[in-house]
Amino acid sequence: MTNEVVAAPRRSSRRGASFRDAGPPVALVVIFAVFAALSPQFRSVENVQNIVDAAAVLAVVTCGITFVLMMGSIDLSAAGVMGASALTVSLLVANNRNDNDFGLLGILVAVLLGCAFGCLSGLALVLLKVPSFMATLGVSAVGLGVATLMFAGVQPNITDAMLESWAVERFLGFSYLTWIAVACIVVGWLIQRYTRLGRYAFAIGGAEEVLTLSGVKVKPYKVAVFTLAGAFYGLGGVMVTSQLGAGLVQAGDGYDFSAITAAVVGGTLLTGGRGGILHSAVGVVLVMVLTNGLVQVGVSPYWQGGVEGLIVVAAVAAAVIPQRRRNQVVK
Amino acid sequence: MSTPVAMKPAAEPATAKSTARPAARLTGFMPLIALVVLVAALTVADPDFLTQRSLTAASRTAAPLIVLAAGATLVVLCGGIDLSIAALASLSTVLLALWLPDLGGLATPVVILAAATIGAVQGVAHVLLRIPSFIVTLGGMSVLSAVALVVSGAGTVRVVDDTPVAWLDLYLGGYVPMSAAMALLVVALIALVLKVTPLQSWVSATGYSESAARLAGTPVDLVKIGAFCVSGACAGFAAVMLVSRQFSGGPTMADNLLLPAVAAIVVGGTAITGGHGSVWRSLAGALVVTLLRVGLPIVGVPSAYEQILYGAIIVVAVALTLDGSKVSIIK
Repeated sequence: MTNEVVAAPRRSSRRGASFRDAGPPVALVVIFAVFAALSPQFRSVENVQNIVDAAAVLAVVTCGITFVLMMGSIDLSAAGVMGASALTVSLLVANNRNDNDFGLLGILVAVLLGCAFGCLSGLALVLLKVPSFMATLGVSAVGLGVATLMFAGVQPNITDAMLESWAVERFLGFSYLTWIAVACIVVGWLIQRYTRLGRYAFAIGGAEEVLTLSGVKVKPYKVAVFTLAGAFYGLGGVMVTSQLGAGLVQAGDGYDFSAITAAVVGGTLLTGGRGGILHSAVGVVLVMVLTNGLVQVGVSPYWQGGVEGLIVVAAVAAAVIPQRRRNQVVK
Repeated sequence: MSTPVAMKPAAEPATAKSTARPAARLTGFMPLIALVVLVAALTVADPDFLTQRSLTAASRTAAPLIVLAAGATLVVLCGGIDLSIAALASLSTVLLALWLPDLGGLATPVVILAAATIGAVQGVAHVLLRIPSFIVTLGGMSVLSAVALVVSGAGTVRVVDDTPVAWLDLYLGGYVPMSAAMALLVVALIALVLKVTPLQSWVSATGYSESAARLAGTPVDLVKIGAFCVSGACAGFAAVMLVSRQFSGGPTMADNLLLPAVAAIVVGGTAITGGHGSVWRSLAGALVVTLLRVGLPIVGVPSAYEQILYGAIIVVAVALTLDGSKVSIIK
């Protein structure tokens, strides 16, 4: 029985991998072509730039969540962590609330705060044995509470030239934020491909029991993965602050679900063990093209969340179909 | 031999339910103890707390929360989770406000029926497509919020003539708010139906060990769909209460009730792993959560701490009530 668990993903990755991995990019091309045919505005160069720039924050958040999903866990804490880090950074760089002007150091502190929240989720999962969706739901609430405390009724507007320039200045046609997102994807891919952390995250998702029986202490790695994810959310919060020019408690609203959507659409399985950063990057662009395209052809932007919801359910259902028989109990 | 599963592997037969440990027996009374301690503490902090006026206000605040938590408890008892209750309640307030002018007194049952149908649809998606319940309901939450935004035009829908729902604002015997009495009635009704029919054992069996229940001939799929259906109906009824109190419906009106409702369920001592718990426990949990909410300002704690408290409560309560022997790998 145990053998089958190990063998099953390997078998399918031999034969089905090329088809499975090709699915999302093909879908991306098809959807792009359809919208380009339907709407002249959609196929303009500015709109393509818009889509890519709008995808920056989501790409960073998705990088973080992908590692958690690879382990087979889930992370709903992005909204809270991003809110807390957004408020932190806006109060630490030059702003209208206090005399702080820490610049890059402030950004670093915000990212570290994200790490701390991620670590908290990981510890709750590992030490208290709280399922990750509950632990991260709780941590998200804590993050929002911390953000509300720091907000204290007065919106901190940032005046830091560097942070403001991130969203405005362009390099090779794309905003600095987009290049930061690209850097995050590269770093994420390197971690996933070449470090023990990334390899074990995959292995934990694939067959945690086997890994434990082989003598690997999985707990520290689980905490480390959640901490890493927290760092990405922290950076995401900083990037939203740069876009808005102010620190808001709601900075991360909706990003948790959009990131799960992007990762799942990209081909990362919720059961873990398959997918990765590059899959998720394709998923992010797919989600952004879809939401942007729907608005361009005249669908109300309010539907965005609804479309994402349907996509997630459809993508997860499609991914589960090959395993229907093995998958006897679904909670 | 148990088959590997997506979310939570079934327990080894040998490690099945051990007899109640002392700690488990203590956690059984935890919600009641917490309730008594809270009332005592609040009375000490503010002698005016134990007056009829403030108790009436507290019970009116608690009513929608009790109904929401009671419905979702059934889903948790089956081993799943319903994260869409708050979004469904929000959508139901909008629908009720929109339908009241045309349907009058019929609007209430129609809205509850619609909510029950939406709940059942999610249950069917969960059972037939074999998607984990938290993903179905997370997607559902997103879709329902989008629908609520679209049908309400992203604004509050005022109720001009609220006579059909005004009865919920009356006082029973001059003292007891009708909404609180109805909430109690809902809890009692669910408990009674569970008790006098085989449903109680079906639900528990599904929660404790789904594969065993299935082998024993329990209609597991129907039980689960039914649980989601009741959960939806309860969200609809909670929405009626909210509308009768606020004279309007809004697309995000009930959204902030999700965390308190989940907190109420886990604080009550219903195990998130399923099987163990009851709707009466969730009633106690909902009262504890409401008292915390009402009590924080009395003690002089800023309401921003409310979120942090919910987050901490959820994590700690889940950790305390989790049936550790049942889940070997926590994802």
